[in-house]
Amino acid sequence: MNSNKPTAYNNRLGIKGWVYAGRYSFERYLYLGHRLSGMGLIAYMVLHIIETANRMRGVEAWQTLMALFASPPFRVIEYLLFAMAVFHAMNGVRLILVELGFFLGKPKEPVYPYSSSVMRHRLLTYVVMLLAGLLIILGGSSLFFE
Amino acid sequence: MRETRLWSLHILVIPIIAVLLGAHFALMHYAPVFYGVSVEEARDFETMIERGRSVAQLVIYILLLAAGLYHGLYGLRGIIRELPLTPALAKVVDIGVLLFGLLIFALGTYVTWWTFSFK
Repeated sequence: MNSNKPTAYNNRLGIKGWVYAGRYSFERYLYLGHRLSGMGLIAYMVLHIIETANRMRGVEAWQTLMALFASPPFRVIEYLLFAMAVFHAMNGVRLILVELGFFLGKPKEPVYPYSSSVMRHRLLTYVVMLLAGLLIILGGSSLFFE
Repeated sequence: MRETRLWSLHILVIPIIAVLLGAHFALMHYAPVFYGVSVEEARDFETMIERGRSVAQLVIYILLLAAGLYHGLYGLRGIIRELPLTPALAKVVDIGVLLFGLLIFALGTYVTWWTFSFK
């Protein structure tokens, strides 16, 4: 068997592996959050496409649906979706920066105690998450207090 | 190589999603902040049809549909394929996700075209 071939079926931890943080702590929970928010957003996108098709049923059907979306529970859901989108996008920016090698520092001799790449970009992680938090708060103030 | 290309495309569509989804959010969800009109006005049937008649809107929404669905469904496929699946089941997941994506893209494109050609 070719050992270079990706074998999804030999992943022993499965979904349990998502929540097993090991020693990676904060970034591991961001990874979990990225996955959950991504799945939430794609589920919403599909529902949103189906829901907007409602316009083809005419003015009344559309206005009834929009009135429902203007109700307080849907405003909260809309805000949660916004928060998920902001979190996913900001964490995605962090992932791309790290993937491209930014904020990881120059390669060094591995001298004990070793510094992991995770710790080397921890500051970036905090800054990006702080920005995400600010955007989520600002977005909420605009959405709820017009 | 094929997987590398698919993954690269997954990353390359991000700027498209960021710009177009940002515009969509501004237009539909933050209309009072960016356009000075209420959310209800922005989502009014007549206003929505009027907007949808522009070629720019048609192109933007079809692009956003393609980019968003590709990025999202490729991510979902990756998550599902990390589960302990047999190669045959992984293939079923690939085909299933592709067909589902094409179906939703077709529906979204049809609705966008319907709005564009509304009389």
